[in-house]
Amino acid sequence: MAEKKKMSVAEILAAARAQTGAAQPVAPETVVPEPDAAGQAEPSAPERPAKPAAKAATPGTPGSRPSVADILAMARAGKGGSDAAPAAKPAAPKPAAKAAEKPAAAKAQKPAAPKAVVRDTASILAAARAGAKPGPVSKADAPARPAKPPASHKPPGDSAKAAPVVPPVPPRPEKPATKKSAESQEDRRGFLEIALGSFMAMGFTALSVTGGLFTLGLARFMFPNVLAEPPSRFKVGFKEGFPTGKVETKFVAQYGVWVVNSEFQGLQQIYALKTVCTHLGCTPNWLEAEQKFKCPCHGSGFYKDGVNFEGPAPRPLERYAIRISDDGQVEIDKSRTFQEELGQWADPESYVTV
Amino acid sequence: MHSNGLFLKDVAGFLGSYYTGIAVMNAVAALILWRKKGQTGWAVVWATVAGAMMILASLALSGAESFVPALPAAARTLVNALSGPVLYTLGTTALFTILFVFRKFFVQPMVAWAILNVALVLMGLSMADENFAAIVMKPDNVPIVGLVFLLAFFTWVATKQAVVNDERIRQGLPPMEKLDDEKVLVWPDLVYTELICMVAVSALLLVWAIALPAPLEEPASSVKTPNPSKAPWYFLGLQEMLVYFDPWYAGVVLPSLVVFGLMAMPYLDFNKKGNGYYSIEERKFSYLVYQFGFFELWITLIILGTFLRGPNWNFYGPFEYWTPYKVEVLNNVDLPQMFWVNLLDRPLPRAPQGAGALTQVGYILLREAPGLAVMAAYLLLLPPLLAVTVFRSFFAKMGFIRYMIMANLMLLMLSLPLKMVLRWTLNLKYIVSIPEFSLNF
Repeated sequence: MAEKKKMSVAEILAAARAQTGAAQPVAPETVVPEPDAAGQAEPSAPERPAKPAAKAATPGTPGSRPSVADILAMARAGKGGSDAAPAAKPAAPKPAAKAAEKPAAAKAQKPAAPKAVVRDTASILAAARAGAKPGPVSKADAPARPAKPPASHKPPGDSAKAAPVVPPVPPRPEKPATKKSAESQEDRRGFLEIALGSFMAMGFTALSVTGGLFTLGLARFMFPNVLAEPPSRFKVGFKEGFPTGKVETKFVAQYGVWVVNSEFQGLQQIYALKTVCTHLGCTPNWLEAEQKFKCPCHGSGFYKDGVNFEGPAPRPLERYAIRISDDGQVEIDKSRTFQEELGQWADPESYVTV
Repeated sequence: MHSNGLFLKDVAGFLGSYYTGIAVMNAVAALILWRKKGQTGWAVVWATVAGAMMILASLALSGAESFVPALPAAARTLVNALSGPVLYTLGTTALFTILFVFRKFFVQPMVAWAILNVALVLMGLSMADENFAAIVMKPDNVPIVGLVFLLAFFTWVATKQAVVNDERIRQGLPPMEKLDDEKVLVWPDLVYTELICMVAVSALLLVWAIALPAPLEEPASSVKTPNPSKAPWYFLGLQEMLVYFDPWYAGVVLPSLVVFGLMAMPYLDFNKKGNGYYSIEERKFSYLVYQFGFFELWITLIILGTFLRGPNWNFYGPFEYWTPYKVEVLNNVDLPQMFWVNLLDRPLPRAPQGAGALTQVGYILLREAPGLAVMAAYLLLLPPLLAVTVFRSFFAKMGFIRYMIMANLMLLMLSLPLKMVLRWTLNLKYIVSIPEFSLNF
């Protein structure tokens, strides 16, 4: 399949490099089935994937420095190591090939390999693509692939048989373990005394004190010396300034409030409506011609008395507390709100009777 | 409507190059068909179209009111009069249904090319209208115009591959993707492609940012909301949803459900087919549900919110002037109001003055009883009912838990179009409306 496709950049590069560097001509057709070669060279482990063999042979080629592509190909082909020494690792659990014998096996293979295996990168890459796909395998591909790697890593019958032939393990150096543990127990007992008087303790104490002061300093920002906001309690003028049926919009920009003189439940009142839509908090506009508040965000509409009637707003606009102050002016207190759905508009503090 | 002599002079240069672009596009298509594909008949057709476009381009470049190609005023008035949220939604649904049912016809390249040409010319003709141009050429909205064409293109490509694969599967052949399943290397094949894309997109964004500067407005103020106030274009579907629901439902619950639903998809999907290749026939249910959610409930809502929603979030026809004084009657009522007042002719149940908290809750529950019953029936009764009727095989294959999750996700998704229809037909605001606790559905 790989030969059918046009060569990728990596393949072209590798092929060009192989032609200039190595003496052998590169011919993708000469890529012989490598499992055979591996089988001849190493009859004791016939199931092993061919790639480690080819890879072990590569360093033997005179003058061919392993390029990045080579290393990549090696890494892909053999799931284990990249040269002979790490190659011994996957072989370790195997019966015949002991850790010490492994380089020898690879060496013995070397004379046999050149005649069968072309050791240029292009062929290795091609083999890597043609055989075991290195990339992620889709479910559809899975059954088509030979179940080689699992078989090679887990020879089921052999392991029991070969159990006695474990390579000699070098004796471990004696550790002065017991003495240390006794000491550390003593250390732990004295930990608190040491910790409290140590540099560590001083450091952490200083850190927590600094942190505490810093937090207090931050909290100070919550209480600024000068507040640029308008006060929450303000006077809007005398009752006579709000004629019957009028929605006063001139306080919207500064205070966010409409002062309305209108009838609510048969009672002529002056009340202060909060300019926040009860749907999602935009500021509605008062449309004089249509006598309604209309929100530009989602189209909620409210009557002059603040009751919602169109769009998605679920409840009426809120009222602020309002009263006649001592000097006879209308005073609005934004710190308290009154909601109709909770029956709070009946509260005499939510309106001023005209 | 304003006299648009001045406007036409402004837009003439753009329209001229626009029609020239369409002409070049058709000429290139004709050339490719003639030299590469050998389809001389089609080549002649598209070459003729290219010539016609050149005529349109020269007419547009004149900038004179009697020459610039435009839709007749009567047609524009008719479109404005007809358009509304109901027709828009029903129309897009019908359009998608037609596209889906006759997909074998629409995936033919020549048909698609013809549709593209028609769409482009219609857009050019509409662009000679001042109101349409003001909306479409607004720098915010230009990406959405691009989005419409890009989405149409990619959907067309995918549908074409799916139709080809479905035909091959019917004949017993493997799908196209299985024929060419070589895996390419990340480096260099993918990384080079990504690099080139990155450079190209950066260049495009630079040119775009210079040509269409970002529209900056006055400093924000908490007591002044622009009219209309629009979300970023990708959230306009969400904003349209908010018209029909309470903020916590349309702004929190439904978007989270979209995310969780998308995450749940691989676990709910029991169909092993269609893995790694395009196919419609083999996964009809998944395909239709997804496309409905994506196109009908997301994309068309974005387009609606962008182009057709004007001041006060009223609906405006594509050629209509956006006056903030448009009056639309949208009086909405809650279900309890409908049930108790309109149907039974009684006042809403209301707790007596000074009642305890429990009594008040009891009265609220009584008031909302019809809505709560409808909700319970919809979310609790409907899934088992569907399991023994429509989704019998689904229930058997999925098991209880997976089926219930799937059914509830689907019902909640469908709650959006259902609520929209109820709003339009019955002026229903909320099915359950408990403003005392900010619970509305």
